[in-house]
Order: sequence, then structure tokens, then C-alpha cells
Amino acid sequence: MSDSKELTPEAPVTGKARMDVAWGANTGDETNASTNVASTAQSGEIFEQEYTQWNGILNPRWMRNWAILRHHLLGIFKKGHRPWSMPTRIFILIAFLASLGDAAMTLLASLIGSAEVHAWFGVNRDNLYAHVLGFFPRNVLWYPIVAALLVGGVISEDRHHGTSALYFSRPVSRFDYIGMKYLSVVLIQSFVVLLTYLIYFLAEILAFGRGWSWMIDVFPMFLAGLIAGMILIVTYTSLGLSLSSVSRGRFFPGIGLLAIVFGTKTLASIVKNLFEREILYLLSPYDCVAHVGQAIIGTQPTYDQYPWTYSLVSLVAMNAAALYILATRVSSMEVTRE
Amino acid sequence: MGRRISPVLVVPMENDLIIQTKALTKSYGPHMALEDLNLSIPRGATGLLGQNGAGKSTFLKTILGLIQATSGEGTVLGYDIKTQGVEIRQRIGYMPEYDALNPGMDAIHQVRYSGELLGMNPVVAMSRAHEALQFVGIGEQRYRDIGSFSTGMKQATKLACAIIHDPALVIADEPSNGLDMKTREFMISTLNTMVNDGQRSVLMASHLMDDVERVCENIVLLHKGRLAAQGKIEDLKAIDREIEIHVWGGATPLEQRMKDSGLTVRREGRVMRIAHTQEDTTRLILQAASEVGAQIRQMHEYEASLEDLFLTIMDNLGYTVKSSEDLLRGKSEARRVDAPESLGGSGA
Repeated sequence: MSDSKELTPEAPVTGKARMDVAWGANTGDETNASTNVASTAQSGEIFEQEYTQWNGILNPRWMRNWAILRHHLLGIFKKGHRPWSMPTRIFILIAFLASLGDAAMTLLASLIGSAEVHAWFGVNRDNLYAHVLGFFPRNVLWYPIVAALLVGGVISEDRHHGTSALYFSRPVSRFDYIGMKYLSVVLIQSFVVLLTYLIYFLAEILAFGRGWSWMIDVFPMFLAGLIAGMILIVTYTSLGLSLSSVSRGRFFPGIGLLAIVFGTKTLASIVKNLFEREILYLLSPYDCVAHVGQAIIGTQPTYDQYPWTYSLVSLVAMNAAALYILATRVSSMEVTRE
Repeated sequence: MGRRISPVLVVPMENDLIIQTKALTKSYGPHMALEDLNLSIPRGATGLLGQNGAGKSTFLKTILGLIQATSGEGTVLGYDIKTQGVEIRQRIGYMPEYDALNPGMDAIHQVRYSGELLGMNPVVAMSRAHEALQFVGIGEQRYRDIGSFSTGMKQATKLACAIIHDPALVIADEPSNGLDMKTREFMISTLNTMVNDGQRSVLMASHLMDDVERVCENIVLLHKGRLAAQGKIEDLKAIDREIEIHVWGGATPLEQRMKDSGLTVRREGRVMRIAHTQEDTTRLILQAASEVGAQIRQMHEYEASLEDLFLTIMDNLGYTVKSSEDLLRGKSEARRVDAPESLGGSGA
């Protein structure tokens, strides 16, 4: 202080000391200049709301459809996309590895040089059929359950969570919505059924050094098996998604699909055993696919009372009915409320 | 109420229109969901009002191009609602009233996906998702699962989904529904920022009149599928000018006397509102008070709220609607006069 005085308890309270601290210890004769103090606090809020404009380009329809497909497919492998449940992911992995059993046994047959093991598991007409349409274990333990887990919530959860509004309030048509969801479920099942089928075929070629002549000979059978597998996947997907579209939960569509597949199969078996009539298998999706598959691959038919075209017609009718229900239900899905 | 107004109040607005319909009609069999709707909605914020079943949802679906109008025509941002639904939905952002989020996803990826559904490149969509979530105030929570979000955070996420592509028009269906006071304030200020700073238009459907009034300049009121009123809120309020008086003693005789003089009186206890329809309304009120010996303690022009306007229009359409006050208080309490009995009150 310029005019410092000793501060004692008896000193009068003038507030001058405080002013000196605040304004500096001048006497008042300082140069007459303005002092600017930068304001640091404005509103006391850290968050500053600012609207940012965007002038980017919106891509056409194929990009939107790719987004839906990608969202569903990548959700199986990583976070940030459609959240498939962990049991679904684990079961798909188990089914995938289990479906590679015949490929592994083919490699083993090659390694140990066993013709007997190769006859049991190697590529031939019956084993190609069995890879996609064999009843036990594939069509009891793996494929229908994979389908049931996948279709469970694909559409019903959009109803349940209201996320259908997210699609339909955007330039996504209902056809594209169904199409991409359908395709994504088909592709994930194909990963389990058809990719393993392809690996099985490749394992035979690599393990036994098969040449072009063998490949050309076997290719029609391979192709027939591939088509049979596609028919299986498409039928399960159509039935499953139609059930998903009439529900708001994940449980009903899954259980419903399993009930249809196994219930009709069981009923047809009971009727066949009791009355020796096979007609009821026309109600069973699995039996119809198996019958058509046997016919196109050329294995010994197990359904021999009726021509395979009956089964084909039944399959077409089942798929048509399921797709009709699916289309009708999705077209009635609301945007403003669900 | 004795005053009658035309069932359709149309106050002309400027030519810069974002939504325009001409004789728009939508029927479901014999039921007319929208009937002969002639709307002109300008840029800026507009409130879409109407009771349940008034046709708001049908109107929104029609302008989004999701359902075909039975007859009539309309445009949104210059695009035909009958043939250019995809173009319209690409340029607007829709924030639905109900939950439209996947609880198993985190906010950032949900918003990014909503951008991808519009055709945005995934990388660009992710970048915009960060900006949008920051704007709606949940930037810090963007990696949290939506299932763990509060109602306010879900509403904010829905808004972020709607604005990710910076649409020219945001349709917000009940944006402040179910929010607590603080979150509601933030939602309103966010919408205001979009309109004022972002120069974007908002069509806001809401039952909360106070929120509509704070965000919107204009309103469209639908009633049973028909247009009941449209225009600037300030202009529409002019139809409902009233003088409010606070009376001490003799309220009932005064009310009767004023009614006998041809005035239209609404009374809530000792507070009365008299329709200001003629030049000498003030003189008539004072004269009536003088004749019955009632004291007028306060007298001022009453500024009607949007809710008052809504009730007045509904009343003129012959439709009884409960006000917020009615819903918050019992009827007997709402009618209570807090003046002593000796002075004409109920003594409560």
C-alpha cells in the first residue's frame, strides 16, 4: 500500500483494505485509463446448444436396403447393429460347427485312409441329401431351432418396441422392409445350412484330390442338394416371419414355428403308423421339403404313396399363405402408433 | 357462451408455405377421417391441435405419403403427397409419440441407423449422430443402452433420430409428453433453437397447450376430421378478447346484472371474465357494479392462453371440453367463491 498503516484491532473499519485488494492499492491519482476485465463466466452452463446444419447427399433406395440388410447380418457378429440375443448367437455357432461334422469326418477319412469312414461320411447322393434334409440330428436339433430363434423377434419386436415407425416414417417401402428382413434371415440360415454344405463339398475335393471329371459328375447332385436346402430355408423363413408378423413377442413365433414343423410331422407319422396312409404329410413342411428334396436329388423316396409333385404343390401353397399373411400384417403396421 | 364464431377460423398467413392441402379428404368406408381439409402451413413452428379422433394421426400419415387420400390434393415442401411420398419422407424428420427405439441398442448406433435408413453413408451417419445427440443434450450418454434411458432421454434420442439429416421440416408428435419440468423445458428450448437458430420448421402435435404456445407461432386445430381453426396464435387470440375483473362482494348479483345487460360472462369464484365485444363493455361493467353495489378490486384486459382459445373454439363448435383447471380441481372447488357470505361470496 502506498500509505500503509498498521492494522490493529482498534483500527476503524472503513472497507478500504478490501477495496485496495479489489481495485489495487492506488491513491486515486492513477492515470485515467479504462480497465477491461475478460468475462469468464457467461451463463454458468458448460453445455452450449448449437444446431449444426448438414448439406450432404442421401443415397438412393439400394443404399437404404443395404443398411437394413447390413444391420441384421452384422448384428450376429458385432455390437452396434441389430441386437440378436446371446443364446441365438451361441446356438448359431453351435449349429454351424455341428453342421461341419460331415466335413470333418471326410477329412478324417482322408487322413486315416479309411474307405469305410468315407463311405459313411464322404460325398455321395445320400450324404448330400442328409446334409440339408436329414431328419436326425439336423432337422431335429439344428435347422428348425436356428430358424425359430431367428424369426422370433424380427418383425414382432418392431411391433413391440414401435421401431416400425423408424422404417416407415423414412423412405423405406413396406416391400423393401419385408424383403430385406426376409433376405437377412435367409442369409443367416444359409450361413449354417448352405455354407457348411459348400465347405463339406470342398473338403471332399481337397481331401481326396477330386478332379474336374468328378466335379462335373457330382455337380448336378450338389446343385440339387443346394436347391433342396434353399427350399427348406425359404419355407421355414416364410412360416416363421408370418408368425412373427402376427405377434408382439419373441416367444410365440419361435415356438409356433417349432410346433408347426414338429407337430405336423408327428401327426403325419402317427396317422401313417395307425392307418398306413401318408396323406397327412402334405401338411408337414418338413415332410414336403424332404419329399421334394428326395425327388430332385434322386435318393430312395421314403414317401411313396403319392407323387412328389403333391408335396411341391403343398409347399407352394404353404409359402403363398405365409407370405400373404406376412404382407397383410406388415401393410397394416402403423407409423403413428403400434 | 353466447358468442358464436364461425366453425372454421382462417387467418391468412404468408405465402411461404411448407404444407398445403386443398379439399383433402380421407375416408375409411363410411367414416370420414379427414373432410375437405384446406390447410396452409407456413415456415416456422406450427402446432397441430385436436382431441383424440380429430384426425391428427390420419393427417400426419397422409402428408407423409403413407396412406392415399380419398380425394383432394396436397403438397409438403413442394412435393405431391400422392405421388412423391418417398421424396417427402426423405426431407422431413418424424419424431413419433410412442417408443420407437430398440432398447438393446445404444443411442449412438440407433441414431446412426436411423440416418442410414434415409440413405446416409454409414460413416457420415455416425458423424452426424454424434452432432445430433450432442444437440439434444445427451452427448455424454450416447454409448449407453437405450433400455436404461429415462423417458426424457428417450424423447431426446427420438428427436436426434428425426434431425440427423437436418430436415427442412420436423414433425414432432407429443414431444414433451411424460417429461418432468426440467426435461420439458429443455425439449421446448431445443425445438425453439431449431426453429430460431437452425431456421427449420416444426409441426408439433401436442395436447399440452402451454408447450405449443411456447414453441409455435401458428396453430392448426382439427375437429372431427375438419379444420376448426388455423392461423397465427396472436391473431386467433383476438377472437377471444375478454376483460377480467376481481370482485369483492355481490359477485352473483353482479354476474346476473351483467348478463341482463347483454354481456357474456364467465365466472370462476370472484374472478369474472367478460367478453370484450363492444366499445362500451367497460362502461357497462362499471355501471352494473354500481347498481348492485359490488366492489371491483381489479379490472384489466385478460390475455387469453392457447388453452382458452382452444376451449372457446370447441365451445363454439358445441363440444364440451374440460379445461386443465377442471381436471386439476374438483368442480365444487373450482366454483368456490372466497368472499365472505355477507358480501355475496360462499364464505369459504
